[in-house]
Amino acid sequence: MSVSVENVEKNVVALQVTVEAEKFADAVNQAAKNLAKKVNVPGFRKGKAPRRLVELHVGQAALYDEALDHVIGPAYAQAVQETGINPVDRPDVELVQIEEGKELIFKAKVVVRPEVVLGEYKGLSVEQDVASVTEEEVIEELKGRQQQHARLMIIEDGKIEEGDIVTLDFEGFKGDEPFAGGKAEDYELVIGSGTFIPGFEEGLIGAEAGKNIDVNVTFPAEYHSAELAGQEAVFKCLVKKIQRKELSPLDDEFAKDVSEFETLDELKNDLRNKLMKIAESKVKDDHLKAIISKVVDNASVEIPEVMFTQRINEMFEELNTSLIQQGMNMDQYYQFTNSSEEIMRERLRPQAVESVKRDLVLEAVAKAEGITVTEDEVNEGLENLGERFKQDPASLKQSLLERGQMEFYKQSLIQEKTVNFLVEQNA
Amino acid sequence: MRDAREVLKSPVISEKSVGLVEENKYSFWVNPAANKIEIKAAVEKMFKVSVVEIRTINVRGKMKRVGKYAGKTPNRKKAIATLKAGDRIENFAGL
Repeated sequence: MSVSVENVEKNVVALQVTVEAEKFADAVNQAAKNLAKKVNVPGFRKGKAPRRLVELHVGQAALYDEALDHVIGPAYAQAVQETGINPVDRPDVELVQIEEGKELIFKAKVVVRPEVVLGEYKGLSVEQDVASVTEEEVIEELKGRQQQHARLMIIEDGKIEEGDIVTLDFEGFKGDEPFAGGKAEDYELVIGSGTFIPGFEEGLIGAEAGKNIDVNVTFPAEYHSAELAGQEAVFKCLVKKIQRKELSPLDDEFAKDVSEFETLDELKNDLRNKLMKIAESKVKDDHLKAIISKVVDNASVEIPEVMFTQRINEMFEELNTSLIQQGMNMDQYYQFTNSSEEIMRERLRPQAVESVKRDLVLEAVAKAEGITVTEDEVNEGLENLGERFKQDPASLKQSLLERGQMEFYKQSLIQEKTVNFLVEQNA
Repeated sequence: MRDAREVLKSPVISEKSVGLVEENKYSFWVNPAANKIEIKAAVEKMFKVSVVEIRTINVRGKMKRVGKYAGKTPNRKKAIATLKAGDRIENFAGL
């Protein structure tokens, strides 16, 4: 077999592959045998008809088609290996010469991975922000804790206030007529939560437990029931129970109750440290992203459209899987988000463009710097992964190999190393 | 003597007849009225070969019926010609 490469356009390569006459003839014979098993030639059992008769029966074109299926695939794969090109799409195959007894010549046009021209990627000195936590943020966090640990107190004789949880029976009337859906018993309502139409919750403020109260409201104009929208109504309510959140004062006692610390200051310190850690990791993350995006911006590459399409398809695949896990399907998702496949594709596109370019640039950097992973590093990575997902590293490796995803995994490790390298170089 | 084209009708195309070619035996559907001598002459003349032996088989037609109408496919005669060693018929039965 021999191959010649020709650059057709940017990122498109044409391979002219010549397969030996013998090899092609063999393939045709094999194809005839395969076809003979499928077609019925009168006078012969299946698979027993001689080649020439099969050919007469199915026609030469069908025979060649079958043969080509078996020749072109391996020949193309070999040609790709020999020439060392990096296709990203399926090839467009065009037959140049097809005749038994002669060499088979075909031309395969394929889009290849684009060449990345790296810009500056070392010593960019991207500033890293300093992580900080303000006193207000700590207090805010502390107040959150206070809310979480609040106790509900039943108010026996008091009036409803904002934030109370009220249990009540109510029935709504329009004029003198009760209306559908306007009645409930033992309903728990948080005053100020905005669950009900405006005016209702406010109207209850000041009411006392165990007493009846009439609340006058006006339904909003854009209410979903046309019958009630914009109408005035009266809700006759019976307040059964008033509950109020009792906040513990922020003192040492509180710290003891909600944490393992003895004093409030210790708790505050702990919260501050935790917040600091979050802030630090965010700053680090931002820094990393800033470096990568700078490196990516400095590099120039013309990416063929198919790579985006493929990435978008992958994204769809992921979305679909996660939807199925949630018990939904694509169609329902489109309905919810009021979109369609085209709109989604359009929406995912910028993301895809960015991630494709990022991957390509990182790959180029890895190549330029000779960043690779060793077998040991792979094993180490697998161990970490195994720990995280509570799986045996050996079986994890096995399953990766079986699904042919070992390469992907290695790639991701290399990418990780590359990112670390970039951070080191541009700190 | 009948003309060769009147005697030989077509080659027999079947797994068995194709297999017999290996033994230098060629099978034909022939005119049921033709005898071995006529068949031998016809094969020799038509394919320019020497025939050592002719064997014939009368193949009775099959009874066929379509609904209540009974019919019969025609009787046929099959002849197997053994050629002299070294002779062969090119392109027999499209082979």
